[in-house]
Amino acid sequence: MIETALKALFILLYATFVGFMFMGIIRIVTARIHRRVGPPIYQPILDTIKLLSKKSNITHGLIYDFGILYAVGATILAVMFIPLGSIGVLRAYGDLILITFLLEIPMLGIMFAAMSSGNPYAGIGAQRALLTLLAIQVPLGFAIVALAEFYGTFSTYEIVMAQQTMGWSIFHFPLLLAAIAYDLVLQAMFGKEPFDIMIAPGEISLGPMVEFGGKHMGLLQIQHAIALFAETLFFANIFLGGGVVTAFSSSILNTIAGLAVLLVKQVAVLLIATFMGAIFPRFTIDQAAKFYWKWPTIIAALGAVLASL
Amino acid sequence: MNELLIIIFAPLLGGVLAWALNVRGIRELLGVAGAAVPLAYLVKLYSELDASGQLSHSIDFAGFTFSFSLTHLTWVFAMIAGVVGLASTIAMVSTSRDGYEWLFALMSLTGAYGVFLSFDLLGFFIFWELMTVGSFMMVLKYSRSAGLKYFVLSVVGAFAMFLAIAKIYALSGSFAFPDVANAVYYAMGRGDLALVFGLFLVAFGVKAGMFPLHVWAPDAYSETNQSYTAMFSGVLSKTGVYGFILIYMLIGYRLMVEFGAFRSAPKFGYIIAFLGGLTIIVGGLLAALQEDIRKLFAYSSISQIGYILVAFGVGTSLSIEAGIYHAISHALFKGLFFLIVATIIYRTGKTTFADMGGLAEKMPFTFAMAFVAILSLAGIPPMAGFVSKWLIFEAVISQNLPILGGMVFFGSAIGFVYLIRFTYAVWFGQRPTDLDDTKDAPLPLAVAMAILAIPNIVFGIAPGLVVKELNKIFGGEIVTSPTLWELNLGFGRYNGLLILVWLIVGLLIAAVIYFLGAPVRKVPVTDTYQSGNPVTMEYNLTIRRNFFLPLKEALAFWLRISFDKLYRDIGAWVEDFAEVMRNYVYNGNVQSYAWYLALILLILAMWGV
Repeated sequence: MIETALKALFILLYATFVGFMFMGIIRIVTARIHRRVGPPIYQPILDTIKLLSKKSNITHGLIYDFGILYAVGATILAVMFIPLGSIGVLRAYGDLILITFLLEIPMLGIMFAAMSSGNPYAGIGAQRALLTLLAIQVPLGFAIVALAEFYGTFSTYEIVMAQQTMGWSIFHFPLLLAAIAYDLVLQAMFGKEPFDIMIAPGEISLGPMVEFGGKHMGLLQIQHAIALFAETLFFANIFLGGGVVTAFSSSILNTIAGLAVLLVKQVAVLLIATFMGAIFPRFTIDQAAKFYWKWPTIIAALGAVLASL
Repeated sequence: MNELLIIIFAPLLGGVLAWALNVRGIRELLGVAGAAVPLAYLVKLYSELDASGQLSHSIDFAGFTFSFSLTHLTWVFAMIAGVVGLASTIAMVSTSRDGYEWLFALMSLTGAYGVFLSFDLLGFFIFWELMTVGSFMMVLKYSRSAGLKYFVLSVVGAFAMFLAIAKIYALSGSFAFPDVANAVYYAMGRGDLALVFGLFLVAFGVKAGMFPLHVWAPDAYSETNQSYTAMFSGVLSKTGVYGFILIYMLIGYRLMVEFGAFRSAPKFGYIIAFLGGLTIIVGGLLAALQEDIRKLFAYSSISQIGYILVAFGVGTSLSIEAGIYHAISHALFKGLFFLIVATIIYRTGKTTFADMGGLAEKMPFTFAMAFVAILSLAGIPPMAGFVSKWLIFEAVISQNLPILGGMVFFGSAIGFVYLIRFTYAVWFGQRPTDLDDTKDAPLPLAVAMAILAIPNIVFGIAPGLVVKELNKIFGGEIVTSPTLWELNLGFGRYNGLLILVWLIVGLLIAAVIYFLGAPVRKVPVTDTYQSGNPVTMEYNLTIRRNFFLPLKEALAFWLRISFDKLYRDIGAWVEDFAEVMRNYVYNGNVQSYAWYLALILLILAMWGV
């Protein structure tokens, strides 16, 4: 019981901290591509502290508050199910389908909160976010199907373990296709260009985020950090072999090494998304839908069919 | 009198009495009693059923033997009818206008019970028609065109079923299910088998709302008393679903032997599953584009039935069990949704999204119920809707059927999409001034909603309750459930309680951070960021019409293809053809009729008759 609680606390703190670092990395890397200096890596943490300590906060009602809490709570729930190296709280129940759903539902909380404010920008942002979700769901679904059919199990942890003997998923051709499709989907999940249609800064005033400020926005920053961590972690686990290290005799050393391995993989996933985001301009929503329903879907469906043979 | 007959005929009796007496107060009491009695008997019979495995009864009437049987399978379906039927009739206390509605609503409930409990094809067919008549009359009262459309498609389905039953009877000489199954297995030829399957597919597909036979459902579901639609969509569509199980029971083995399998699914099942997948997508996309709250949920109902068909089509014990689980949760959340719609229409008198908004403040209880229903339909753990969808996902994907897997995935996203549209337009944003004194749900509707909302939560957190019953249908541990909270498929696990506990932990952590911050100040809906323009209540800025316009544009090509239009065109052609026939052939001239007669006699004579 206490051990579980400690593990959970560690996962939570680690995920939040690394997530904030990821947010900082995105900003620095983007700045360097733009030939700017960029903020220090800990800038997102400072921003969040500032937001949380605002003296005046507004609300639009119960749903406005609860939606935010729900988004944060659901993200914490999701991160507990994903195996983090050899540390896991609920990884025995870390079902692929469950995690895929759990990674999507924080958005539902944010949508509820944003829409309850009655701001039309939030409404149009919600519309765009949902259509993006609809667009990515097809390739995402096929990628998950490919994984489940290739390994014959839905357990994320077992998939990680299977990769220790069979080699990383991306070295098998059907799953390589699935991984490419999933990586394109991640771009929209992160909300990075060219698929940042739902927030679209300068176009619809950050869409769903338009009304949030103060501690609501601070909580959403925390949610964003954990979600960033969870999404990259999930990708690293299912496609890049996860972080299982057994080289050392001490289990603590193994755990730390596992975390380090995972971190490298996560940063790699993140950098790909950042590079893509820094080069491309924004799509319109129907372009995004048509894009996702074409190439990523074809690639992922091919992967799924090949995996099922 | 036998209990099974009481279960079947109690609603009809209640309905007839309510209609005959037609005194306000007594009418409602009789009607609700008519729906409550069968449920009470079903609960009472459970222990008896558990001990013996099957309760049967048969009566001789008009030279035929009608047999009825309560098995674990039919008990589950009858319980769906019992619970949703009761909730729906309680809600009708608020919304029904006269004895007419009580009579036909309860008549269709009797039909549904009869369909579930019948153990021979004749009784099945008769009760099927009784149910169709009852529901048709309910629709007819509100809209003639919707009623007729429903009627025409139902007649097509009924004819298909009639032909199939006649074909089977000609072969087996009996209507009883066991005889039929035997006769089909040993004696039916390949061609006949395919024909009977096709006819059953049409018959049950119409009732379940399977693509492309779904076109009646959006009109019929929306053009009737919305409390009744809870039963219409929750129970009556399940008879179609039950029909697909019947296909397995009666002709499934033979079909499997004769036509073989596609990958691991039976070939005939793959047809069902593929049509089910299309039903999910078509129903879901159309639901997102509706401007009328009733139509949105009608299409959504079609879409969700698609899941059940996919699960049944895959044809393993696991997938059929998953399908039945989804039938249960579909009845629960969709029944709840239609009651919510009934409440909204009852209180506001409006049905289009354009006229609504900001109702969450005025109807907090109804909104809470809507929240439960939304979470369940969207498949948010730990709700009943998630568990059943999860089972379907795992059942389909574990059978290596990638295309079907992709289809069900798409369906889960489209669920989010149309639900958020409903949430945004009805509950949030600026409220039109004429809705300012809207009240919350009246007591009967509130009770009815609560009856359906509670199982939505309980069956998600404790799926073991349901799975234990469903396992009995198959007589084995299809889904192992070590504890009440946990499901284990071998290749995937789910634990509702753990999810709930950790979600609460997550919420608590968030709440701690939230409450550490400075207190909040409530601001009105007009106090939002508007690019510098002040918001006033004179202009409603909330997007209510064409919310998913980009989706409509992206799908423009596909939306032009409409089966509804195709059927209408066929109808128009038939009318034109009849017109031509009347002008030239049936012209009303006795002399030309005499000529036709002579001509036919001549032909017969040449034939040598």
